[in-house]
Formats: sequence, C-alpha cells, structure tokens
Amino acid sequence: MSVLVSDCGDAAVRVTFQTDDRNHAWRSAHRLSTWLDTHRDRQQLRGTIATYDAVLVEFDASRTDHDIVRSLIDIALGERIDETSGRPPRQFDVPVVYGGEYGPDLQHVAEQQGLSAAEVVALHTAGPLTMRCYGSPAGAPMLDGPAFPQPVPRLTSPRPHVLAGAVSVAGRQAVVSARPAPGGWCVIGRTPRQLIDLDRTPLVPYAPGDTFRFFPISAGEWADHEGPMHG
Amino acid sequence: MGEPRSAQLRIDRPGLSCLQDLGRQEGSRIGQMTGGALDQYSAAMANTLVASPSEAPLIELVAHDFAATTDTDLLIAVTGADADVTIDGRPQQQWAPILWPAGSQLAITRIRAGLRVYLGVHGSVRAPHLLGSCAPDTVLGFGAVFAAGEVCHVEVDCPTISQPWFGIPFFRLGARPHHFAGRWDIPITDGPDIAEFGSTVDRLHGHDYVVGPSSNHIGLRLGRTDQGPIPHRQTRTEVLSRGVPIGAVEVPAGDEILILHRGRGVTAGYPVLAVVTTVGLSRLGQARPGDTVRFRPVSTATAIADLRRQQAHLHDVGTRVRTAFTSLASLNSPTRSPLSAPPAPEPHRSPNRWRTA
Repeated sequence: MSVLVSDCGDAAVRVTFQTDDRNHAWRSAHRLSTWLDTHRDRQQLRGTIATYDAVLVEFDASRTDHDIVRSLIDIALGERIDETSGRPPRQFDVPVVYGGEYGPDLQHVAEQQGLSAAEVVALHTAGPLTMRCYGSPAGAPMLDGPAFPQPVPRLTSPRPHVLAGAVSVAGRQAVVSARPAPGGWCVIGRTPRQLIDLDRTPLVPYAPGDTFRFFPISAGEWADHEGPMHG
Repeated sequence: MGEPRSAQLRIDRPGLSCLQDLGRQEGSRIGQMTGGALDQYSAAMANTLVASPSEAPLIELVAHDFAATTDTDLLIAVTGADADVTIDGRPQQQWAPILWPAGSQLAITRIRAGLRVYLGVHGSVRAPHLLGSCAPDTVLGFGAVFAAGEVCHVEVDCPTISQPWFGIPFFRLGARPHHFAGRWDIPITDGPDIAEFGSTVDRLHGHDYVVGPSSNHIGLRLGRTDQGPIPHRQTRTEVLSRGVPIGAVEVPAGDEILILHRGRGVTAGYPVLAVVTTVGLSRLGQARPGDTVRFRPVSTATAIADLRRQQAHLHDVGTRVRTAFTSLASLNSPTRSPLSAPPAPEPHRSPNRWRTA
C-alpha cells in the first residue's frame, strides 16, 4: 500500500491510502485519524476528517505548516497502534417503516433490482451494516450497502426535501438522514429514532466502525419507537 | 476592577443579524460544518479593538440595516463592509473602538462595498454554545437570527473607558480595513486534483468571474462574466467521498464553479481543483452576488506568509489597544487597577515543536 500526502490549500493536507484492499485503506485512514485526534495540539492541528480511503488533516497555518504536519503524519504512520485502544464498536438497532409514504422509492428499487419489495426489505434487514464515515450533511452515518444484486442508481432529479430519519440506498451504500436536507438517494423507509439531539452529549452517538441493524415495524408502531438512538 | 455589570442591548431593528464567532473547530471530526464568521479577519479585528479574545461571541450583520439601544455604557468596534455607523444620529468611525453611551441608539445602515459587518463589544456577550462555539448551524438548527425587541446580554467587568479630555475614545490604532476596489482579488493555491482538469485550468486564472445569486455561507457559485468556458474534468473515474477543506474550488456541473465556504458539508465526491487561501476566504466572505472576482494563483508558502502577516497585524493592534486602554483606565480612575484584558495569543512565526498529549 502506498500513502500519498497532498497539499490541500494553505491549511490542510490530504492523506490517501492507495491499495486494492478497500478495507485495509479504510482501517488505515481511521487509525491515522484517531491517532492524530488523540495526540494533537489543538492550537495547531484543528482536526481530521476520515472517509473511505483518505484523511483530511486541517491545521492553523499561522501556527504550523505543511512540512511540520507531514512529519507528524510520518510519526503517526510509524506508530504501532493498539487496535483495541478506542471505544469498542457499538451496534444500533434501528426500527424502520418501509415503503409507502415512508419509503417512496421502495417499489422503484425493487423493480430495478428484479426483486419484490419484501425481498428488498429482507436484504436491508439481513445483517448489520458497518458505518464507514460521517457524511454530509449533519454527519449522517455512511453505511455499507445491503447485499443487493446490483448497485442502486441515484434519482434522476434529486428531492428538494428529505426528512430526518429517512433510510436510503445508492450505489453500494446505505445511509440514515440525520437532519432534513435535499437528497438524490432512493428513500426506502424512515425510522422514528432521532439521530441528533442538540441537548445530548456526545452530540452524535455513532462512530465509524459501529454497526446498524435495521428491523421492520408497521406505521402503527411508529410512536412506540420514537426517541433517541442508542447503541 | 469596576463592579460587574450586566448590560442589556435591545435590538430595535434586527435586519439580518445574529450571534457569531470564529466557528466550531470540533465539529468537522463528527461530520458537522465548521461555520463561523465568513470574514474571519474583520470578526477577529472587531474583538481585538475592544480587547476581547478573537474567538469571543460578537454580532454579525448581513447586508441589512441594523439598530440597537444599550442601557449601559459600552465600548464597541464596528468592522467588515463599509457602512454608515451612527450613535443617536452622530457619525462614528469603523475599525476603531467607539463609546456607545447608555440610553443611546447605535445604527448601522447602508452596508456597501462588502456584505457583512461585525460588531465587537468589550465584555462577555452571553450566548448559547454547542461544541464550544455559538456559531449558527443552519443544518442542525442551532442559533437564530435576532428578532425585533430581542435583548442581548453583555457582562461588563470594568469601568467604561472614555477619553478624558473630549469624553470620546480618540485613538489611532491603525487597524487596516479590507481593500475593495470594485473587484475582489482572490489568491488560490493548486488543489490536490488539479491534474484531472488538464489545460482547462487556464480558464480559472486571469478571467473575470461573477458571484451568482444563489451564493451563501455554504458556498459561492461563480460563472465567467464573458460567458466563456470554465474548467472541466478530463477523467471519468469514480470519485470516493473525501474530506474537503473550506475554500475548495469544485466544478460539479453546468457553467458555474463552486467555492465551498464555512458552512460546507465536510465531505464531497468531487475533485478539488484549487483552494482559496485563508486570507482570500475572509475577502470572499464579503463578496456580494453580482461582484466580480479574479483568481490569482499563489504558492502555499506565499499564502501562509500572507496569513501570518495578517495575524501579526491583529497581534500588533491588540498590543496597542491594551496599552491605550491601560493608560486611559489609570487616568480615569487612578485608584482602580487597570482594565483587565485577556492576553492575546502569541503569533507563532516559527513553530518548530509539537506538544503531544
């Protein structure tokens, strides 16, 4: 695996892990991000954003620069990092009302995959899906997609309003909307659980490496499942 | 020290104003926008001129006329875009500390040559915080614009400073305003994915771009003023979502480029063509829809040198402010200890050490 560090403006570098082993790239990116977040001087290093194969490292350019940050990254990459040092992965059980007004694209996804709506739901609820990173907007959990036969195309024209709690799929990925926003992914259901609560610490309960297991509920059970997400 | 006082600042005419600060650095790690004053330089200067910490809460106005009345003498500074600043109708200077007497009305009108005005107040502006910042986050629904009649509380812990001979602050602190000459000159550095755009990169440099009407705190959309072609990605491989810096120049589709600003989502699946420098982002935070922008490529070393010059200027002004206030405080009330001002951060010109936790 090769590691590419590129300047990304006057106050950031991007570290990319180049390998065919996607899982290895992802683990390396998040290990680097965790190490830097644990060891950083908060005046100099502002933070890290880890995704699938890359980490954006942001810093205060009035206090440090690219060369110093690059040497810190070299140190981090040379560290033997204890895999068990972070908090252990959590599992979130997420109730979902599938189809109808809750999941307007369920039928469309079923037709596109050559499956019945029930089979799409069965695949989406089959096993826990791993969270890979925070996405936009509002840090929505970006999950591995269910074992559908094919990638799911995006909507040809994005929806201007997708509600918080919307459960969507696109490509080989899945997501739960943290806050209302426009969106171009296929919405197959909606959860009554609240992902983000401004009065709660930590603000966001989930982290990359956690798993989400979805289970179907009926629209009549919505109120019974309202409340915050907890793993 | 003077008796702690709680000033009430009543917003008579809110325009489009809110509590603001330099942003939520702890947000991006968990996928939240950074936010904060789009013109970071002017916001930091407004606080510096009144001896408040750069990152302290202050009031941001966008484009529209504003008026407020205070029930306690306050020391304030107004920076950012050019505007008419008056107290009970009498004209006041921008980019300098001014005394706002109890019972009088401050009006900031005709905001021009820029879009955003910052109102720094000496004291602690009371503000709700999320992850260490009061910056509004439109996606999370945190923070709100002021409503007419709303009251903003400021804790003031020192005697108000006034110039002893004329009763008004009368300093030459030399704070430099933004230079705006009808066209924004914006320095940019090459982005990490510039090679994907081949020779079409030339379409970015040396041409006039106009700021589009749908530009906001999330990002600015700009097209060529001469309707000429914009840079275009030459490869078609899939791009994985990656963290994107504030200032990233992207070309999503159509005939406009997109420059991400402080309200950006932290990840995106578009290649990064260029990145606006930190100094350039403050200037771009003042660009209005319809304004003309020209991009000037610079090296990261030049960009960092520009930023450090700006930070050193803020530091110098901060030093002069404390000297002036300390002298005046002892003139005004020799029995009292000088005005307590929080220490300004050192400008780190040659950082060479990392502290590890």
